[in-house]
Amino acid sequence: MALKRKIAYIDLTNRTVKTASIPIELRKKFLGGRGLDMYLLYNHMEPGADALGPGNVALVSAGLLVGTLASASARIHLAGKSPLTGFIGSANCGGFFAPEMRLAGFDHLVIKGKADKPVYLWIHNGDIEIRDAGHLWGHNAQDSQTLIREELGDDDIQSLTIGVAGENLVRFSCVMTSMKNAAGRTGIGAIWGSKNLKAVAARGTMDIGIAHPEEALDYNKEIITQVTSAKVSKTMQKLGTMFIWGTTNTTGLVRVRNFQSNQIPHADDIEPESIEEEMIGTAGCFGCQVHCRGRYFIKGGPYSGTYAEGPEYTSLGAFGAEVGCTSKQTVLVGNHLVNSYGMDTLETGSMIAWAMELFEKGILTEKDTNGLDLSFGNNDAVIEAVNQIAHREGIGDILAEGPLRAAEKIGQNSIQYLIHVKGMSNLHSDERPTPALSLNIATASRGADHLRSRPAIDLYHLPEKVLRKIFGNPVPYDGPLTSDFRDYEGKPWEVIWQEMCYGAVDCLGICKYHTVFLGPNMPNFDEWSKLIYLNTGLELSPKDIWDSAERCYTLEKLFNLREGQTRDMDWLPDRYFDEPTDKGLPVVRGRSIDREKFTKMIDEYYKLHEWDKKGIPKKAKLESLGLNNEPSHQL
Amino acid sequence: MSESTKKNTDKKTVKGRTSGQFRCLYCFKRITAPPGAKSTTCPHCGYAWRISWFSPGEPRIRGPVWENNEAMTRKIMAESKGGSK
Amino acid sequence: MSKILVIDHEKCTGCRLCELVCSVKHERVSNPYRARIKIVKWEMAGKIIPVVCQQCEDAPCMGVCPVNALSRNAETGAVEIDYDVCIGCRMCMNACPFGAMGYDWVNSHVIKCDLCGGDPQCARFCETGAIQYVEKATLGALKQRKGAAALAEVMTKVSTAYSEAG
Ligand code: SF4
Ligand SMILES: [Zn+2]
Repeated sequence: MALKRKIAYIDLTNRTVKTASIPIELRKKFLGGRGLDMYLLYNHMEPGADALGPGNVALVSAGLLVGTLASASARIHLAGKSPLTGFIGSANCGGFFAPEMRLAGFDHLVIKGKADKPVYLWIHNGDIEIRDAGHLWGHNAQDSQTLIREELGDDDIQSLTIGVAGENLVRFSCVMTSMKNAAGRTGIGAIWGSKNLKAVAARGTMDIGIAHPEEALDYNKEIITQVTSAKVSKTMQKLGTMFIWGTTNTTGLVRVRNFQSNQIPHADDIEPESIEEEMIGTAGCFGCQVHCRGRYFIKGGPYSGTYAEGPEYTSLGAFGAEVGCTSKQTVLVGNHLVNSYGMDTLETGSMIAWAMELFEKGILTEKDTNGLDLSFGNNDAVIEAVNQIAHREGIGDILAEGPLRAAEKIGQNSIQYLIHVKGMSNLHSDERPTPALSLNIATASRGADHLRSRPAIDLYHLPEKVLRKIFGNPVPYDGPLTSDFRDYEGKPWEVIWQEMCYGAVDCLGICKYHTVFLGPNMPNFDEWSKLIYLNTGLELSPKDIWDSAERCYTLEKLFNLREGQTRDMDWLPDRYFDEPTDKGLPVVRGRSIDREKFTKMIDEYYKLHEWDKKGIPKKAKLESLGLNNEPSHQL
Repeated sequence: MSESTKKNTDKKTVKGRTSGQFRCLYCFKRITAPPGAKSTTCPHCGYAWRISWFSPGEPRIRGPVWENNEAMTRKIMAESKGGSK
Repeated sequence: MSKILVIDHEKCTGCRLCELVCSVKHERVSNPYRARIKIVKWEMAGKIIPVVCQQCEDAPCMGVCPVNALSRNAETGAVEIDYDVCIGCRMCMNACPFGAMGYDWVNSHVIKCDLCGGDPQCARFCETGAIQYVEKATLGALKQRKGAAALAEVMTKVSTAYSEAG
């Protein structure tokens, strides 16, 4: 059955591999994926370890439902202590690696120590081998996958790889699989690079048992209909996540020129529909019918004829609005480059945008940039900056350090222009008109992060009745809930609900586009409960799943506290309070966040979580979640 | 194969989903655009939108008609109907 | 009326759901490598090609079978294997020009698409329409329409260019 998979402990220093079974109690408590990763991180990393030292751990986890008849259950979760923030390092991606690792017999890898020279792991039907990766070092993320397939003579091998950015310890480098699937945020690629770990390759042919095959087939079909009949899915099938950028630029909720504005008018060339003209179609992750990933060939310029996938929402900001560019060629090339270097597109674009504002303000000059003209809108300079960051050349070497370290190096008042929380840059969206979304980025465990708790449907003007139905399940809630996204009241609960919603699917290995992220009618706790039962035979109620997600989130909080996080870090950059939005529709124009109301919001958020005023989970809460004895070293 | 022996391949229809329409991003009312239209003005509020069709019967807002909407927004803001909250 | 699986590789997004549901339907487990259909990819070049039995009229696998273990199901039109007769020589695998005859190492026998007895799961789950189960009688019309659509596009371009040129 699906749960017969194992965990492996790999010590790269001593080159040993041990395997163990996973106790069913831990499965029920943490499900898998991000949930068990957080358990493993809390248990296996020495407190205070250097994120780029051998004391950090590199974790790889498949979600509980990966490879089963749960639609879009393709996510692999990666974790460790973030080299970017020093707090939770956590990221996941789709593609085809997660099911392959499961077919090869493993659900979780705990990778420790540091190899004396480049290595990769080869996982095959219950076996794990540490192999030399000298010949892969220096290759980009995609070529490395091809080279492994060639070396081992099997085209069905799926690999997680780092590109040169990870090798060069760029603090926001990713782990990649396939063309563009990236476990993008918090710099997991640099952890791998610091361990001399170039790749993890998997190929397996071991059955994943399905508890109730016929019913699971029928139910999968039902879920697919539920998901694909939503307008948001139909839009994504054509435009991918780019559509969100189009819609939010129309409203006035994007970041422009490092957050100096919230809308970029007349940017026709980078509108999703314009970029879609370059697409040859879309691709899906394992078992997914939303297939949101664009596929294109670059036309013209030095990369002409190159096949690439994407771009997504974030690349439209990163190589478009944020850097003041409105050329789709820059977006398409920039997107391709970050994917081949294995670098977080969001952080890359943010760092360049920030440097451009410093350049504009005279804090950086051509002397600092070796003559690189970092003026907003300079397409060539953006591409050159991407190259410099990946290779740590020139100004790129400083930018590769991520927001806070770079600001420290550049000095003056450069830190003021960073749009970050806890040392991680924010999505290229503007949350000043939306207190709920502001609270989301201020409190998220990874730093400024839309994928931990964004109540995006808060923007949809849904009637209170609908909101009550969504946010009142599976845990009853009778506090305020309002349809107006400008409100402060009631929003903390939306953020918490969304934390559990995203936490749940991150534990199950399901994609967030199959949740109440962008569509209110998407599958939810009830559906997941049924999916778990039909596929694995485990009987977990919707509330049980919620509890697992809450355990996961609470462990992240405990980890962050252990690594020195304080209440003042749950906060926004000054610009959110001091500089009102200057563009967009009337509802979003002239808006900023109110410090006092926002403080109250955070208080309320802590209270609902049963955390104290400092954001520390109360003892009773830990007991009720069964987390009072962590680290418990059961795995 | 006779129809009776064919197994029932399910077609679950989902209620409450609309197609052929989109919501105005200013007033949030539903607008029906003429098939294939490249832009349309909201009959309820006057904001004008450029339209794209992600499938033959499914329109979405591609972007604003910039000048029209900017002028309207300025007017509304001047009358402070933007609503401070 | 007889139906057939039609593959439009241009519509395939490479998600491999067909492999997954095929393995569950036939083997009661999830194992894409035990499916009767395979999505072959040249991933880094962006090429995706589904491979499945064509149920050939003059089937090479049937022709080459030394013990006549392969026969056509009169109702569905699928070429099916009689495992009681099959001797496991795998000549059919060699003969099939598409590689659609697979091998299941668990049960040590060849496997192939049997159209799920008339409700092929791959087509049922393929939302993009890359795999469709259609009446043989409409097969030609489908292709004609696709060809005509491409032509129509060219014609529009030509006429626009003509009118723009003035
Ligand atoms: S919606 Fe997109 S990212 Fe999510 S599983 Fe489907 S193809 Fe992958
Ligand atoms: Zn309107």
